[in-house]
Amino acid sequence: MAGNDKPSRPVPRIGSYVDSRPFWEGIAQGKLVLQYCTESKRFQHYPRPVSIYTGRRTLEWREVSGNGTIYACTVVRIPGPGLDGRLPLPVATVELDEGVRIIANILDCKPEDLKVGRRVKLAWDQLSAEQRYPAFVLA
Amino acid sequence: MKKKRDIVIAGYAETKIDYKTGRSAYDLAGEVLEQMLVRTKLDKSAIDGLSVTLPLSEGSNPFFAAYVCEALGLTPSWLNLGALGGCSATSGVARAMAAIRDGMCETVLVLSADAPSSDWRSNYGAYRPEFQDPPGVQGPPATFGLLMSRYIHQYGLKPEALGKIAITQREHALLNDNAYPKFRKPLTMEEYLSSRIIADPLRLLDSVMFCDGANAVLVTTEKKAERLGLDKVVYPTAYAEITNYKGDDPLADITESGFAKIGPRVFEQAGLKPSDIRMFHPYDDFTIAVVMQLEDLGFCEKGKGCDFVLQTDLSYKGTLPLNTGGGQISAGQPGLASGGLNLVEAVRQMFGEAGARQVSDPRNALVTGIGVIPYGRNWSTSCAMILEA
Repeated sequence: MAGNDKPSRPVPRIGSYVDSRPFWEGIAQGKLVLQYCTESKRFQHYPRPVSIYTGRRTLEWREVSGNGTIYACTVVRIPGPGLDGRLPLPVATVELDEGVRIIANILDCKPEDLKVGRRVKLAWDQLSAEQRYPAFVLA
Repeated sequence: MKKKRDIVIAGYAETKIDYKTGRSAYDLAGEVLEQMLVRTKLDKSAIDGLSVTLPLSEGSNPFFAAYVCEALGLTPSWLNLGALGGCSATSGVARAMAAIRDGMCETVLVLSADAPSSDWRSNYGAYRPEFQDPPGVQGPPATFGLLMSRYIHQYGLKPEALGKIAITQREHALLNDNAYPKFRKPLTMEEYLSSRIIADPLRLLDSVMFCDGANAVLVTTEKKAERLGLDKVVYPTAYAEITNYKGDDPLADITESGFAKIGPRVFEQAGLKPSDIRMFHPYDDFTIAVVMQLEDLGFCEKGKGCDFVLQTDLSYKGTLPLNTGGGQISAGQPGLASGGLNLVEAVRQMFGEAGARQVSDPRNALVTGIGVIPYGRNWSTSCAMILEA
């Protein structure tokens, strides 16, 4: 347990897929930091080993505003690993104003308020007492 | 690509589908091999090519294909491991055809066996632990809930249309002795509409359930089939597939699948149009996937799939019979052997061996596969094959 009534959730091993440290360091500083292709001037998420636009490592990390719009949404109602105590769980594909989509939870949101087209802003969810994770709230 | 009629599917085999059988993919593969040899009266030495599907129950074993050869006592000169999920069976036929045309083998068993309800040994890994699991998107239902919400936003959705797909396929499963026994009871629209929501707006009865099972088809040249005395054959006359459609556009419309790209290709190859298709055997992990395929393959306009379903007789007696064995939704989804379920049913129908659910004049069939659920997008691999008499 994480010191409150919510069970602790799995904290992923960082950087096992690609070097994702800037994403996690951003979180520690309260920023949402995503991969950016310096050639095509576009963001991409989740992080990849190359730019999906150029096929080359024309990548750096940049902070995004954290403002966006719900592109798609669902409420997960069936149990699964790490979902104990979280159901029903609002989930959305958020289209950020920078032109990239991210899957995230919408916190403090009643299922009936979760709708495509709603504006959202960055918020923070706790994976454990020590580790937070980007999420959104209705703007 | 010019239409060719040099290669045939000359046999099929299928186990019963059941839940938690306690059996392995190897054991199920053995049952399906024996059934194929009995049906075709072939000696196992006639099989010189093998394509197998990487099963969820053996996902952690990189040597699965060779282990199957050892388990079954086969010595192929061409071996293919299909790892395109629900596209593995149909894409296995296409790859077998290319290998036969290239002289690498002559008679290929395209075999899919899986037992995920008895033993799950897969770990998708990659980006998922860091970027997809934390928000709780762990399985296909959440992804399809997202997909459906967007579809509703753009086009609206008629739940009765999805219900009709579930009910029609359930009626077909009642006539299929291989279907999962617990699903062999009729379904009403009331039951469908009151079915539990698992990931809004997706209902339990929109979804498949993992089971165990196996299936196979035999692919060879027309000439070899004649020499072997195999008189029932169907001709795969067109095939197309695509993976990671619009993969470099993070803002792509997720209601459009790769079938929008490959539909025109497969129809052009066969010289047919959607209205020429006698039977439709689409991959049906969720009812909405059937609607989206009808649209993207050109049976109707985008956004009009629900109307098309409501206006069309999709029963085995109808104008466009749909998954006449019950599909995965009502026969049970034998893990990643699921792609072979629809394929085998199409071949069975075209052989005239579908019994109580036989389609009249089964002159052709369109079979599809769907493979892999990606990050917040439409499905990853789409494949389509046209079979002709």
